[in-house]
Amino acid sequence: MTGGKVVIYVILNMLMIFLLFTAFFAVFTKNLLNSIITLAIFSAILIVIFVILQAPDAALAEAVIGAGLTLAFFVITINKTKDWQNE
Amino acid sequence: MELPYVVVIILFCLGIYTIIMNKNLIKIVVGVNIVESSLILLLILISFKLGGTAPILDRKYELVVDPIPQALALTAIVIGGSFIAVMLALVIKIYKRYGTLNVDEIRKLRG
Amino acid sequence: MSRVHKIFRKFYKIGLVLFLAIFLLFIFDEIQNLDIKRYLSEHYISEGVQETGAINLVTSVLYDYRGFDTLGEATVILTAAATLSFMAPIKKVKMLGTEFTIIIYQTIIIIIPFLVVLGMNLIFFGHISPGGGFVGGVILAMIPILVTITYGITFSENKLKANHKSLLEGIGAIGFILLGLLGIFAGSNFLASGQANFGLGNPGELISAGLIPYLNLMIGIKVGAGLATIFNSLIKEG
Repeated sequence: MTGGKVVIYVILNMLMIFLLFTAFFAVFTKNLLNSIITLAIFSAILIVIFVILQAPDAALAEAVIGAGLTLAFFVITINKTKDWQNE
Repeated sequence: MELPYVVVIILFCLGIYTIIMNKNLIKIVVGVNIVESSLILLLILISFKLGGTAPILDRKYELVVDPIPQALALTAIVIGGSFIAVMLALVIKIYKRYGTLNVDEIRKLRG
Repeated sequence: MSRVHKIFRKFYKIGLVLFLAIFLLFIFDEIQNLDIKRYLSEHYISEGVQETGAINLVTSVLYDYRGFDTLGEATVILTAAATLSFMAPIKKVKMLGTEFTIIIYQTIIIIIPFLVVLGMNLIFFGHISPGGGFVGGVILAMIPILVTITYGITFSENKLKANHKSLLEGIGAIGFILLGLLGIFAGSNFLASGQANFGLGNPGELISAGLIPYLNLMIGIKVGAGLATIFNSLIKEG
Protein backbone atom coordinates (compact mmCIF):
# COMPACT_ATOMS: atom_id res chain seq x y z
CA MET A 1 0.00 0.00 0.00
CA THR A 2 1.27 3.45 -0.85
CA GLY A 3 1.14 6.37 1.59
CA GLY A 4 -2.17 7.79 0.34
CA LYS A 5 -4.15 4.63 0.97
CA VAL A 6 -3.05 4.22 4.57
CA VAL A 7 -4.09 7.79 5.46
CA ILE A 8 -7.64 7.19 4.23
CA TYR A 9 -8.12 4.16 6.45
CA VAL A 10 -6.73 5.98 9.49
CA ILE A 11 -9.23 8.78 8.83
CA LEU A 12 -12.03 6.21 8.52
CA ASN A 13 -11.23 4.69 11.91
CA MET A 14 -11.08 8.11 13.56
CA LEU A 15 -14.46 9.06 12.08
CA MET A 16 -15.99 5.84 13.42
CA ILE A 17 -14.81 6.64 16.95
CA PHE A 18 -16.18 10.17 16.61
CA LEU A 19 -19.53 8.69 15.54
CA LEU A 20 -19.58 6.70 18.76
CA PHE A 21 -18.93 9.77 20.92
CA THR A 22 -21.70 11.69 19.19
CA ALA A 23 -24.22 8.89 19.73
CA PHE A 24 -23.35 8.64 23.44
CA PHE A 25 -23.80 12.38 23.84
CA ALA A 26 -27.17 12.35 22.07
CA VAL A 27 -28.52 9.66 24.40
CA PHE A 28 -27.19 10.73 27.80
CA THR A 29 -27.92 14.45 27.83
CA LYS A 30 -30.86 16.01 29.67
CA ASN A 31 -31.75 18.90 27.39
CA LEU A 32 -33.99 17.87 24.46
CA LEU A 33 -32.73 20.46 21.96
CA ASN A 34 -29.12 19.39 22.54
CA SER A 35 -30.09 15.81 21.76
CA ILE A 36 -31.76 16.69 18.46
CA ILE A 37 -28.96 18.87 17.12
CA THR A 38 -26.45 16.17 18.01
CA LEU A 39 -28.55 13.73 15.97
CA ALA A 40 -28.08 16.04 12.97
CA ILE A 41 -24.29 15.98 13.51
CA PHE A 42 -24.48 12.16 13.67
CA SER A 43 -26.16 12.18 10.24
CA ALA A 44 -23.50 14.50 8.83
CA ILE A 45 -20.62 12.25 9.95
CA LEU A 46 -22.45 9.27 8.48
CA ILE A 47 -22.50 11.05 5.09
CA VAL A 48 -18.70 11.43 5.07
CA ILE A 49 -18.30 7.76 6.02
CA PHE A 50 -20.54 6.74 3.12
CA VAL A 51 -18.42 8.74 0.66
CA ILE A 52 -15.18 7.14 1.91
CA LEU A 53 -16.77 3.69 1.52
CA GLN A 54 -17.48 4.44 -2.19
CA ALA A 55 -21.31 4.72 -2.08
CA PRO A 56 -22.41 8.05 -3.64
CA ASP A 57 -26.13 7.24 -4.03
CA ALA A 58 -26.59 6.40 -0.37
CA ALA A 59 -24.61 9.51 0.64
CA LEU A 60 -26.91 11.82 -1.36
CA ALA A 61 -30.05 10.19 0.04
CA GLU A 62 -28.84 10.40 3.63
CA ALA A 63 -27.79 14.04 3.12
CA VAL A 64 -31.24 15.09 1.98
CA ILE A 65 -33.42 12.97 4.23
CA GLY A 66 -31.38 12.41 7.36
CA ALA A 67 -30.00 15.89 7.90
CA GLY A 68 -32.83 17.92 6.39
CA LEU A 69 -36.23 16.35 6.74
CA THR A 70 -35.86 14.39 9.98
CA LEU A 71 -34.46 17.42 11.82
CA ALA A 72 -37.42 19.57 10.68
CA PHE A 73 -39.90 16.95 11.94
CA PHE A 74 -38.23 16.76 15.36
CA VAL A 75 -38.18 20.54 15.81
CA ILE A 76 -41.88 20.81 14.95
CA THR A 77 -42.71 18.08 17.50
CA ILE A 78 -40.79 19.83 20.26
CA ASN A 79 -42.59 23.07 19.38
CA LYS A 80 -45.99 21.48 19.83
CA THR A 81 -45.38 19.53 23.05
CA LYS A 82 -44.42 22.28 25.47
CA ASP A 83 -46.48 24.16 28.05
CA TRP A 84 -46.28 27.79 27.16
CA GLN A 85 -47.20 29.03 30.66
CA ASN A 86 -44.62 26.98 32.52
CA GLU A 87 -41.53 27.56 30.37
CA MET B 1 -12.31 -8.35 14.47
CA GLU B 2 -12.01 -4.98 12.77
CA LEU B 3 -13.05 -1.67 14.24
CA PRO B 4 -16.06 -0.76 12.01
CA TYR B 5 -17.97 -3.94 12.91
CA VAL B 6 -17.42 -3.38 16.64
CA VAL B 7 -18.74 0.18 16.28
CA VAL B 8 -21.88 -1.14 14.54
CA ILE B 9 -22.54 -3.57 17.41
CA ILE B 10 -22.04 -0.86 20.04
CA LEU B 11 -24.39 1.55 18.24
CA PHE B 12 -27.10 -1.11 17.94
CA CYS B 13 -26.94 -1.99 21.63
CA LEU B 14 -26.92 1.70 22.58
CA GLY B 15 -30.10 2.26 20.59
CA ILE B 16 -31.87 -0.70 22.19
CA TYR B 17 -30.73 0.46 25.65
CA THR B 18 -32.34 3.84 24.98
CA ILE B 19 -35.63 2.31 23.89
CA ILE B 20 -35.83 0.12 27.01
CA MET B 21 -34.59 2.41 29.74
CA ASN B 22 -35.57 5.98 28.95
CA LYS B 23 -38.67 7.71 30.26
CA ASN B 24 -39.15 10.54 27.77
CA LEU B 25 -41.07 9.68 24.58
CA ILE B 26 -38.92 11.86 22.31
CA LYS B 27 -35.73 10.22 23.51
CA ILE B 28 -37.25 6.85 22.58
CA VAL B 29 -37.76 8.10 19.00
CA VAL B 30 -34.10 9.25 18.94
CA GLY B 31 -33.12 5.71 19.97
CA VAL B 32 -35.14 4.19 17.10
CA ASN B 33 -33.34 6.50 14.66
CA ILE B 34 -29.93 5.38 15.97
CA VAL B 35 -30.83 1.69 15.56
CA GLU B 36 -31.95 2.29 11.97
CA SER B 37 -28.79 4.24 11.06
CA SER B 38 -26.53 1.53 12.44
CA LEU B 39 -28.19 -1.14 10.28
CA ILE B 40 -27.82 0.99 7.14
CA LEU B 41 -24.11 1.43 7.99
CA LEU B 42 -23.79 -2.36 8.26
CA LEU B 43 -25.30 -2.81 4.78
CA ILE B 44 -22.79 -0.40 3.21
CA LEU B 45 -19.91 -2.03 5.09
CA ILE B 46 -20.72 -5.44 3.63
CA SER B 47 -20.42 -4.19 0.06
CA PHE B 48 -16.94 -2.69 0.41
CA LYS B 49 -13.85 -4.23 -1.21
CA LEU B 50 -10.29 -2.98 -0.66
CA GLY B 51 -9.12 -1.01 -3.67
CA GLY B 52 -12.49 -0.86 -5.42
CA THR B 53 -14.18 2.15 -6.99
CA ALA B 54 -17.77 3.41 -7.01
CA PRO B 55 -20.27 1.38 -9.11
CA ILE B 56 -20.53 3.78 -12.08
CA LEU B 57 -18.81 2.31 -15.11
CA ASP B 58 -17.82 5.13 -17.39
CA ARG B 59 -14.04 4.79 -17.41
CA LYS B 60 -11.57 1.94 -17.30
CA TYR B 61 -11.89 0.15 -14.00
CA GLU B 62 -10.10 -2.66 -12.20
CA LEU B 63 -12.26 -3.60 -9.26
CA VAL B 64 -15.80 -2.40 -8.54
CA VAL B 65 -17.60 -2.58 -5.20
CA ASP B 66 -20.80 -4.57 -4.84
CA PRO B 67 -23.90 -2.70 -6.08
CA ILE B 68 -26.65 -4.86 -4.55
CA PRO B 69 -26.49 -3.86 -0.83
CA GLN B 70 -26.24 -0.20 -1.85
CA ALA B 71 -29.62 -0.40 -3.61
CA LEU B 72 -31.17 -1.95 -0.47
CA ALA B 73 -29.61 0.77 1.71
CA LEU B 74 -31.14 3.50 -0.50
CA THR B 75 -34.59 1.96 -0.04
CA ALA B 76 -34.03 1.67 3.71
CA ILE B 77 -33.07 5.34 4.10
CA VAL B 78 -36.23 6.61 2.42
CA ILE B 79 -38.51 4.25 4.35
CA GLY B 80 -36.83 5.20 7.64
CA GLY B 81 -37.48 8.88 7.03
CA SER B 82 -41.23 8.52 6.51
CA PHE B 83 -41.50 6.05 9.42
CA ILE B 84 -40.03 8.59 11.87
CA ALA B 85 -42.63 11.12 10.67
CA VAL B 86 -45.52 8.76 11.51
CA MET B 87 -44.05 8.08 14.97
CA LEU B 88 -43.72 11.78 15.75
CA ALA B 89 -47.32 12.43 14.72
CA LEU B 90 -48.43 9.75 17.21
CA VAL B 91 -46.32 11.42 19.93
CA ILE B 92 -48.16 14.71 19.34
CA LYS B 93 -51.52 12.94 19.58
CA ILE B 94 -50.51 11.28 22.88
CA TYR B 95 -49.47 14.64 24.31
CA LYS B 96 -52.78 16.19 23.38
CA ARG B 97 -54.72 13.39 25.05
CA TYR B 98 -52.78 12.84 28.28
CA GLY B 99 -50.96 16.13 28.83
CA THR B 100 -47.57 14.64 29.66
CA LEU B 101 -44.66 12.97 27.88
CA ASN B 102 -43.54 10.66 30.68
CA VAL B 103 -44.02 6.94 30.04
CA ASP B 104 -44.69 6.00 33.70
CA GLU B 105 -47.49 8.49 34.17
CA ILE B 106 -49.15 7.49 30.90
CA ARG B 107 -49.14 3.88 32.05
CA LYS B 108 -50.85 4.83 35.31
CA LEU B 109 -53.63 6.92 33.80
CA ARG B 110 -55.03 4.31 31.39
CA GLY B 111 -57.72 6.22 29.58
CA MET C 1 -39.29 -3.46 49.33
CA SER C 2 -40.34 -1.57 46.25
CA ARG C 3 -37.00 0.27 46.11
CA VAL C 4 -35.01 -2.96 46.00
CA HIS C 5 -37.42 -4.18 43.35
CA LYS C 6 -36.74 -1.09 41.20
CA ILE C 7 -32.95 -1.43 41.45
CA PHE C 8 -33.20 -5.12 40.58
CA ARG C 9 -35.26 -4.35 37.46
CA LYS C 10 -32.76 -1.71 36.35
CA PHE C 11 -29.80 -4.09 36.60
CA TYR C 12 -31.80 -6.82 34.90
CA LYS C 13 -32.37 -4.59 31.85
CA ILE C 14 -28.69 -3.56 31.65
CA GLY C 15 -27.72 -7.22 31.93
CA LEU C 16 -29.98 -8.13 29.00
CA VAL C 17 -28.40 -5.48 26.77
CA LEU C 18 -24.88 -6.64 27.69
CA PHE C 19 -25.81 -10.24 26.96
CA LEU C 20 -27.08 -9.18 23.52
CA ALA C 21 -23.80 -7.35 22.81
CA ILE C 22 -21.64 -10.39 23.70
CA PHE C 23 -23.86 -12.69 21.63
CA LEU C 24 -23.53 -10.43 18.57
CA LEU C 25 -19.74 -10.26 19.02
CA PHE C 26 -19.51 -14.03 18.80
CA ILE C 27 -21.68 -14.16 15.69
CA PHE C 28 -19.69 -11.47 13.89
CA ASP C 29 -16.45 -13.26 14.64
CA GLU C 30 -17.79 -16.39 12.97
CA ILE C 31 -19.16 -14.55 9.92
CA GLN C 32 -16.00 -12.64 9.11
CA ASN C 33 -13.90 -15.74 8.51
CA LEU C 34 -16.20 -17.20 5.85
CA ASP C 35 -14.97 -17.29 2.28
CA ILE C 36 -17.89 -17.01 -0.11
CA LYS C 37 -17.96 -16.07 -3.76
CA ARG C 38 -20.67 -13.61 -4.80
CA TYR C 39 -21.95 -14.92 -8.10
CA LEU C 40 -24.91 -12.59 -8.56
CA SER C 41 -22.82 -9.43 -8.11
CA GLU C 42 -20.29 -10.61 -10.66
CA HIS C 43 -23.07 -11.27 -13.14
CA TYR C 44 -24.55 -7.79 -12.59
CA ILE C 45 -21.14 -6.08 -12.93
CA SER C 46 -20.05 -7.86 -16.09
CA GLU C 47 -23.38 -8.06 -17.96
CA GLY C 48 -25.30 -5.12 -16.48
CA VAL C 49 -24.46 -2.39 -18.99
CA GLN C 50 -25.12 -4.66 -21.94
CA GLU C 51 -28.49 -5.93 -20.76
CA THR C 52 -30.04 -2.75 -19.43
CA GLY C 53 -28.12 0.12 -21.04
CA ALA C 54 -27.63 2.14 -17.82
CA ILE C 55 -24.14 3.06 -16.62
CA ASN C 56 -25.15 3.56 -12.99
CA LEU C 57 -25.27 0.02 -11.63
CA VAL C 58 -27.28 0.90 -8.53
CA THR C 59 -30.04 2.43 -10.70
CA SER C 60 -30.10 -0.60 -12.97
CA VAL C 61 -30.45 -2.94 -9.98
CA LEU C 62 -33.13 -0.78 -8.37
CA TYR C 63 -35.34 -0.09 -11.42
CA ASP C 64 -34.76 -2.94 -13.83
CA TYR C 65 -33.68 -6.14 -12.10
CA ARG C 66 -35.59 -5.38 -8.88
CA GLY C 67 -38.28 -2.96 -10.05
CA PHE C 68 -40.99 -4.60 -7.94
CA ASP C 69 -39.33 -3.61 -4.68
CA THR C 70 -39.41 0.02 -5.77
CA LEU C 71 -43.17 -0.31 -6.24
CA GLY C 72 -43.38 -1.60 -2.66
CA GLU C 73 -41.45 1.37 -1.34
CA ALA C 74 -43.75 3.78 -3.20
CA THR C 75 -46.67 2.04 -1.45
CA VAL C 76 -45.04 2.63 1.96
CA ILE C 77 -44.74 6.37 1.27
CA LEU C 78 -48.34 6.52 0.07
CA THR C 79 -49.53 4.76 3.25
CA ALA C 80 -47.59 7.14 5.50
CA ALA C 81 -49.00 10.20 3.73
CA ALA C 82 -52.54 8.81 3.91
CA THR C 83 -52.20 7.98 7.64
CA LEU C 84 -50.92 11.43 8.52
CA SER C 85 -53.49 13.37 6.55
CA PHE C 86 -56.22 11.23 8.10
CA MET C 87 -55.10 12.21 11.60
CA ALA C 88 -54.82 15.96 10.99
CA PRO C 89 -57.81 18.19 11.79
CA ILE C 90 -59.55 20.09 9.02
CA LYS C 91 -59.66 23.52 10.63
CA LYS C 92 -56.31 25.15 11.17
CA VAL C 93 -54.72 25.37 14.60
CA LYS C 94 -52.49 28.17 15.78
CA MET C 95 -48.92 27.80 14.57
CA LEU C 96 -46.23 29.79 16.34
CA GLY C 97 -44.68 32.06 13.74
CA THR C 98 -42.29 34.97 13.73
CA GLU C 99 -41.82 37.90 11.42
CA PHE C 100 -38.79 37.57 9.21
CA THR C 101 -36.90 40.45 7.66
CA ILE C 102 -37.30 41.38 4.01
CA ILE C 103 -33.98 39.74 3.04
CA ILE C 104 -35.36 36.28 3.68
CA TYR C 105 -38.55 36.87 1.72
CA GLN C 106 -36.67 38.08 -1.37
CA THR C 107 -34.04 35.36 -1.13
CA ILE C 108 -36.65 32.60 -1.05
CA ILE C 109 -38.28 34.04 -4.18
CA ILE C 110 -34.93 34.03 -6.02
CA ILE C 111 -33.87 30.53 -4.86
CA ILE C 112 -37.00 28.62 -5.96
CA PRO C 113 -36.15 28.34 -9.72
CA PHE C 114 -32.68 26.99 -8.89
CA LEU C 115 -34.20 24.32 -6.67
CA VAL C 116 -36.48 23.24 -9.52
CA VAL C 117 -33.50 22.96 -11.91
CA LEU C 118 -31.46 20.98 -9.36
CA GLY C 119 -34.30 18.56 -8.71
CA MET C 120 -34.99 17.97 -12.40
CA ASN C 121 -31.26 17.47 -13.09
CA LEU C 122 -30.99 14.77 -10.45
CA ILE C 123 -34.14 13.04 -11.75
CA PHE C 124 -33.36 13.04 -15.46
CA PHE C 125 -29.68 12.07 -15.23
CA GLY C 126 -30.37 9.28 -12.78
CA HIS C 127 -28.99 6.52 -14.97
CA ILE C 128 -25.69 8.28 -15.81
CA SER C 129 -24.53 9.84 -12.54
CA PRO C 130 -25.42 9.32 -8.88
CA GLY C 131 -28.84 10.49 -7.77
CA GLY C 132 -31.99 8.92 -9.05
CA GLY C 133 -35.70 9.45 -8.56
CA PHE C 134 -35.83 9.52 -4.75
CA VAL C 135 -33.28 12.24 -4.11
CA GLY C 136 -34.70 14.48 -6.85
CA GLY C 137 -38.21 14.01 -5.48
CA VAL C 138 -37.20 15.07 -1.97
CA ILE C 139 -35.53 18.22 -3.32
CA LEU C 140 -38.70 19.06 -5.26
CA ALA C 141 -40.65 18.63 -2.00
CA MET C 142 -38.51 21.30 -0.34
CA ILE C 143 -40.27 24.09 -2.25
CA PRO C 144 -43.70 23.86 -0.52
CA ILE C 145 -41.90 23.28 2.79
CA LEU C 146 -39.88 26.50 2.47
CA VAL C 147 -42.96 28.51 1.47
CA THR C 148 -44.87 27.12 4.49
CA ILE C 149 -42.10 27.97 6.93
CA THR C 150 -41.51 31.56 5.85
CA TYR C 151 -44.90 32.78 4.68
CA GLY C 152 -47.25 30.94 7.02
CA ILE C 153 -49.60 28.10 6.34
CA THR C 154 -52.61 30.14 5.15
CA PHE C 155 -50.68 31.66 2.24
CA SER C 156 -49.14 28.33 1.34
CA GLU C 157 -52.49 26.54 1.27
CA ASN C 158 -53.90 29.24 -1.00
CA LYS C 159 -51.14 29.03 -3.59
CA LEU C 160 -50.40 25.29 -3.65
CA LYS C 161 -53.67 23.61 -2.84
CA ALA C 162 -53.81 20.25 -1.13
CA ASN C 163 -56.05 18.80 -3.84
CA HIS C 164 -53.43 19.48 -6.53
CA LYS C 165 -50.76 17.75 -4.47
CA SER C 166 -52.83 14.66 -3.96
CA LEU C 167 -53.67 14.62 -7.68
CA LEU C 168 -49.93 14.69 -8.50
CA GLU C 169 -49.30 11.82 -6.13
CA GLY C 170 -52.01 9.77 -7.83
CA ILE C 171 -50.57 10.53 -11.28
CA GLY C 172 -47.15 9.34 -10.13
CA ALA C 173 -48.37 6.04 -8.72
CA ILE C 174 -50.70 5.16 -11.61
CA GLY C 175 -48.10 6.20 -14.18
CA PHE C 176 -45.63 3.76 -12.68
CA ILE C 177 -48.11 0.89 -12.92
CA LEU C 178 -49.09 1.78 -16.51
CA LEU C 179 -45.44 1.80 -17.57
CA GLY C 180 -45.12 -1.61 -16.02
CA LEU C 181 -48.14 -2.88 -17.94
CA LEU C 182 -46.43 -1.70 -21.14
CA GLY C 183 -44.01 -4.57 -20.64
CA ILE C 184 -46.89 -7.07 -20.65
CA PHE C 185 -48.29 -5.62 -23.89
CA ALA C 186 -44.89 -6.13 -25.54
CA GLY C 187 -45.02 -9.83 -24.76
CA SER C 188 -42.71 -10.11 -21.75
CA ASN C 189 -42.94 -9.80 -17.93
CA PHE C 190 -44.34 -6.97 -15.77
CA LEU C 191 -41.87 -4.05 -15.42
CA ALA C 192 -39.44 -5.53 -17.96
CA SER C 193 -37.23 -2.92 -19.57
CA GLY C 194 -34.16 -4.89 -20.55
CA GLN C 195 -35.77 -8.22 -21.30
CA ALA C 196 -38.26 -6.76 -23.76
CA ASN C 197 -35.64 -4.78 -25.76
CA PHE C 198 -37.27 -1.38 -25.44
CA GLY C 199 -34.76 0.57 -27.52
CA LEU C 200 -31.65 0.43 -25.38
CA GLY C 201 -29.53 2.92 -27.32
CA ASN C 202 -25.90 3.81 -26.62
CA PRO C 203 -24.88 3.65 -22.96
CA GLY C 204 -23.92 7.10 -21.71
CA GLU C 205 -26.47 9.23 -23.51
CA LEU C 206 -29.60 10.82 -22.09
CA ILE C 207 -32.14 8.89 -24.20
CA SER C 208 -31.05 5.36 -23.43
CA ALA C 209 -31.80 2.47 -21.09
CA GLY C 210 -35.34 1.81 -22.25
CA LEU C 211 -37.96 2.67 -19.60
CA ILE C 212 -35.65 3.84 -16.80
CA PRO C 213 -35.80 7.68 -17.29
CA TYR C 214 -39.62 7.62 -17.34
CA LEU C 215 -39.76 5.45 -14.22
CA ASN C 216 -37.44 7.92 -12.49
CA LEU C 217 -39.78 10.79 -13.38
CA MET C 218 -42.88 9.05 -12.02
CA ILE C 219 -41.15 8.12 -8.75
CA GLY C 220 -39.79 11.68 -8.36
CA ILE C 221 -43.24 13.25 -8.71
CA LYS C 222 -44.78 10.77 -6.30
CA VAL C 223 -42.20 11.11 -3.54
CA GLY C 224 -42.20 14.90 -3.80
CA ALA C 225 -45.95 15.29 -3.46
CA GLY C 226 -46.13 12.69 -0.66
CA LEU C 227 -43.50 14.33 1.51
CA ALA C 228 -45.01 17.81 1.09
CA THR C 229 -48.40 16.41 2.22
CA ILE C 230 -46.77 14.77 5.26
CA PHE C 231 -45.14 18.06 6.31
CA ASN C 232 -48.31 20.13 5.99
CA SER C 233 -50.31 17.58 7.98
CA LEU C 234 -47.70 17.59 10.74
CA ILE C 235 -47.87 21.39 10.98
CA LYS C 236 -51.67 21.47 11.13
CA GLU C 237 -51.89 18.88 13.89
CA GLY C 238 -52.04 19.57 17.58
